[in-house]
Amino acid sequence: MEEIISIKNVVKRFPVGDGFFTALQDINLEFKKGEFAGLVGPSGSGKTTLLNIIGSLDTPTEGEAIVIGKDISKLSHQQSADLRNHNVGFIFQEYHLLPVYTVYENVEFALLLQNIGAAERKKAVMEALDWVGLTHKKDSKPDKLSGGESQRVAVARAIVKRPAILLADEPSANLDAENAHNIMKVMKKLNEELDTTFIFSTHDEKVMQYLDRIVHLKDGRIEKDEMMKAKYGVHGAH
Amino acid sequence: MLRFRLAIKNLLSAGTRTWLSASILALACLIMVMYMGVLQGWNTQAKTDAINWQFGQGEIRSPKYDPYDPFTIDDGHAVIPAGAEGEAVPILVRQASIYPQGRLQNITLQGLPKHQNLLSIPTGKFTTEKEGVIPVVIGKRMAKTANLKVGDMTTLRWRDKGGTFDAAQVLVADIFRTNVPEADMGILWLDIDKLYEMTGLRGEASYLVLSNAGYHKNVPSWNYISKETLLEPLEAMVAAESIGAYVIFFILTGLAALAIFDTQVLSIFRRQKEIGTFIALGMTRKQVVRMFTIEGTSLSFFGVILAAIVGIPFGVWLKSTGVSLGKPTEAMNINMAQTIYPVFGTSLILGTVIIIVGISALVSYLPARKIAHMEPTLALKGKIQ
Ligand SMILES: Nc1ncnc2c1ncn2[C@@H]1O[C@H](COP(=O)(O)OP(=O)(O)OP(=O)(O)O)[C@@H](O)[C@H]1O
Ligand SMILES: [Mg+2]
Repeated sequence: MEEIISIKNVVKRFPVGDGFFTALQDINLEFKKGEFAGLVGPSGSGKTTLLNIIGSLDTPTEGEAIVIGKDISKLSHQQSADLRNHNVGFIFQEYHLLPVYTVYENVEFALLLQNIGAAERKKAVMEALDWVGLTHKKDSKPDKLSGGESQRVAVARAIVKRPAILLADEPSANLDAENAHNIMKVMKKLNEELDTTFIFSTHDEKVMQYLDRIVHLKDGRIEKDEMMKAKYGVHGAH
Repeated sequence: MLRFRLAIKNLLSAGTRTWLSASILALACLIMVMYMGVLQGWNTQAKTDAINWQFGQGEIRSPKYDPYDPFTIDDGHAVIPAGAEGEAVPILVRQASIYPQGRLQNITLQGLPKHQNLLSIPTGKFTTEKEGVIPVVIGKRMAKTANLKVGDMTTLRWRDKGGTFDAAQVLVADIFRTNVPEADMGILWLDIDKLYEMTGLRGEASYLVLSNAGYHKNVPSWNYISKETLLEPLEAMVAAESIGAYVIFFILTGLAALAIFDTQVLSIFRRQKEIGTFIALGMTRKQVVRMFTIEGTSLSFFGVILAAIVGIPFGVWLKSTGVSLGKPTEAMNINMAQTIYPVFGTSLILGTVIIIVGISALVSYLPARKIAHMEPTLALKGKIQ
């Protein structure tokens, strides 16, 4: 399998007061196409920081992050926006749906940014809503949705453009057990059907049991990088 | 298109605040267009009246005549140039006095041909059956100051060609009503032929009112004053009046602009997670700046639409009934009709709309620029101060 993400000697420091805080320290990681992996670690260990770099929302202070052949540090605003627009989908703990748009319009948004024609857009949106089982809610506004439904809309929005990489930052943190399992099953299915690379950040056991690979972070360093398939079997435990 | 749709939805969801700002903008727009429309209507009326009663297509003045210097009147006359007939109406000005109710009142006699139709002065009324009296026509203002009515007679005293005083009875043959005080106050209009008889200045005139502006080229020795020059003071007067409209307009637009600015600052602060999301979804920061700018600017479109909904029927009604400014206008001695029909020009309406939209765009853009410097990672967390 080909490498889709390659992190080499990445250091991330944030300015704090007079000095710096080192959030990531000498990270070396590779992800292959179609992986279903997670970054796991205590709060403040650097999970979100690493996801942000992979998604080109942030840049490393030192080292190299190559995503789909592109060096994140060397991208212009426009190029990094293009990378996110076409190749990277984000799912957040707080869903971050656009409040004034309906479910349908929220999912459609990414495609509008890509200037995709109306007919093709409609087909893709309905398909994405079908994947997450929300076609019947397409005209609802986000404030009328439950947490589980909101997160499924976020998944549909991220997946509708068929990105190569999907980054999910604690997607289950605001969900109850049932909804957490639901959302993980949906994503696992998409991973298998579309060969999308998923990278999670989580400290939720429910999420972890679906993962094929877990990268343990602590204080900005990789503590352990384990393949889970042996432990849980090919499709994870259910 | 996408940005526009989102902007409209966001605005509508903002509720009262949106409608309040839009209403202020609409009000500014309405007041500006209505006020300026009335002034424009006045301008049109005043100019039309001045042309019809006073200026024609311009004047040529005999070399020594200056209407602003009464001392020039005595000598300010010359033989009417050849070929003037059909191109201009000659007017001979002389000083004289009348004695209504025995009181002396200085006036100017202005003689012009009985058969002219360039000026609206009712020269056709220069007739009487009475022997030995001089028929004159006067305006309402003159009639009022001299306390004269149609059919009244009064004594007129003037100097004949030898410079000695002569006197006769004048008969008020008609009183006309004009918006132009300069064609009215202190003037007795009479047949120029009669004035020739009285003064011995046959074939002479103080100035010619042109019906054909080009004629002045044939008479280089007379002073040509174009219609445009003659109308300048009127334009200046209307322009001075429009300052008030601008003041009100800019106060209201300024208020709305402040409201928009404030709303923008607040919404950019409150919606930073949304801004982060837009960037995560693949928009550049510049695109997000543009989107927020469009959102703020759209408010002015609401304002303009609101103004149109109220203003179009109101304007159409006003245009047909006119604006009545009541009686006092006549006493003010300015060229202003009692009822003014507003004129709503395209440039007035378009200009107002462009200014409103432009200012809204500016005050929407200024706060939105901040987005360009936002860290998307912090925005997503809502941690930007
Ligand atoms: N912009 C920033 N400026 C300063 N410090 C930051 C910034 N972003 C993150 N940090 C710090 O870097 C460290 C790693 O943060 P990060 O958000 O990646 O942790 P995390 O593993 O995602 O934690 P959590 O599980 O709580 O989400 C934290 O100590 C955090 O305070
Ligand atoms: Mg985190």
